[in-house]
Amino acid sequence: MNPRASLRSRIGIGIAVAAVLIFTLFPVYWMVSSAFDKKASSGGQSLLPQEFTFDNFAFVLTEGGFGTFLRNSAIVAIVTVLVSALVCLLAAVAVARFRFKFRTTVLMMILVVQMVPLEALVIPLFLQVKSLGLLNSILGLMVVYVALSLAFGIWMLRGFVAAVPVELEEAAYIDGASWWRMFRSILLPLVMPGLVATSIFSFITAWNEFIFAMTILGAETDQYTVSIGLKSFFGLFANDWGSIMAASTIITLPVMIFFVIVQRRLASGMVAGAVKG
Amino acid sequence: MSMVQAPLPATKAESTSAPVAGGRPRRGLSLVKARPWLLLAPGLIILAVLMLWPLIQVFMYSLQDYGLREINTGESNWIGFDNYVEALTNPTLWTVVLPNTVGFAAVAVFATVTVGTLVALLLARLGTTWRVIVSSCIMVAWAMPAVTGTYVWTFIFDADRGIFNSVLRDMGLMDQSINWFTNQWSFYAIVLLNVVHHGFPFVAITVLAGLLGVSKEMLEAAALDGAGAWRRFWKIIFPTLKPVFSVVIILSTIWDFKVFAQVYLMPGGGGGNRSVLNLGVWSYVESFGQNRYGFGAALAVLLTLVLIGITIVYIRSLMKEDEL
Repeated sequence: MNPRASLRSRIGIGIAVAAVLIFTLFPVYWMVSSAFDKKASSGGQSLLPQEFTFDNFAFVLTEGGFGTFLRNSAIVAIVTVLVSALVCLLAAVAVARFRFKFRTTVLMMILVVQMVPLEALVIPLFLQVKSLGLLNSILGLMVVYVALSLAFGIWMLRGFVAAVPVELEEAAYIDGASWWRMFRSILLPLVMPGLVATSIFSFITAWNEFIFAMTILGAETDQYTVSIGLKSFFGLFANDWGSIMAASTIITLPVMIFFVIVQRRLASGMVAGAVKG
Repeated sequence: MSMVQAPLPATKAESTSAPVAGGRPRRGLSLVKARPWLLLAPGLIILAVLMLWPLIQVFMYSLQDYGLREINTGESNWIGFDNYVEALTNPTLWTVVLPNTVGFAAVAVFATVTVGTLVALLLARLGTTWRVIVSSCIMVAWAMPAVTGTYVWTFIFDADRGIFNSVLRDMGLMDQSINWFTNQWSFYAIVLLNVVHHGFPFVAITVLAGLLGVSKEMLEAAALDGAGAWRRFWKIIFPTLKPVFSVVIILSTIWDFKVFAQVYLMPGGGGGNRSVLNLGVWSYVESFGQNRYGFGAALAVLLTLVLIGITIVYIRSLMKEDEL
């Protein structure tokens, strides 16, 4: 390749990278910089922050009640992650390691379930929860979120379990290893990347979910998770953009840190689930 | 996954009569047969109770005039298919709601997959350092919750305080602030930005991981033979990555059809502005805003049918790829 063409293609790539970064990061930058900018609440803001302040964050965490919302969301997300990881792993072992009647039917059913829109589920589940007297509690939400993360988790883990060489298990079996030992020392370490990916998915589902939180939690602000908390905050302080962006930053931050740390495992998990399946 | 995969050794030892060295006492055949079902049981029970049963119920509600009175008394109030007749004869469905649902999903899936793939191709050409930097930044966009993202985009395009309007004003392109949320087209253009911004990272990261597995020799040979980038993509990369693309397209379709918070939380999106209703929001507003749970359920069933109809086509193509 001659040097001029290579230089031109490098400039092209540079421009493309810049465009991608601007599109990707501008909303994030705008959210964070507005959160720290006094002008965002009073008007007259410009592209660069002008008057640095922590007031928005202080206001959001005290008056806004986001301390409670964050705690609720953390509880909901952690319980969802643990329960769905366990349930998904069991189911994934069943569909990846055993040939049984209706196996394909089960797999198809799980995939179809994933397609059901939440708007369709929210009506019957709301009426059901209401008749059980369980409205306004995060307990009901956790159960729903586990159900929402199952389909994806089973499909993803299935690929990982199938990729574990059967010979390894055979060898352990011949050596007299118990089922539990075999599971813990062979299967578990090898499917760990898949479990990580599944856990991220269910964490995000639980942390971000909006329609069920809005419907089931109703007016019980003590039980609000972050997404419905942000909506009610917006309803109260509609023009205080500085505080709304501070609240947005606070609830985005945990997810972002989590994502950046695990991103490599996540990518390999996604593809393994998609291809090796 | 192939159908001839070897079963777990334990199963082999127990279900055939051939003894295995050091094998333990054989258990009853019935337990072995039941084992996969025991493992599946928790998952299937949760899915059945929380997803399949409600799905049946929503259909039953859709055949009733179900409102506050029925909730309080617990009685049924069957009216046959009247809710569906009302929905299907309502001109709003055909002129506003379906275009906002199906049309938007088609554009959004196309845009998300195209942008994601282009970014993946770009990432594949970068050196390791830049690839890590750019893909970390992309992750940040992905991590932004839909609710947060929607408020940020709303802020950016806000009529009075939004940066978009103020930049246009400063550049002299606009005299007065425009409210972008009242017009159906500009409203959905903002939703599209929001959805693509949130959705393309998944496509990019997934396709990138697949791209790294495409044979470099083949691509180089094709380039030497004079195949341009366009031809190399369709003749080599796309066929190799077909399973990855099917998954990415299926998931994007499912997600983009179910766009709810991104519309509901924007100004006027929660039912205030009827020209921006989509099927999901309409169903929700009728149910929980008007207490017309029966009519809302009928709309939800229609949404489910559209979604399942479209995705079954995809599933069938996926099944051909790897036969489950």
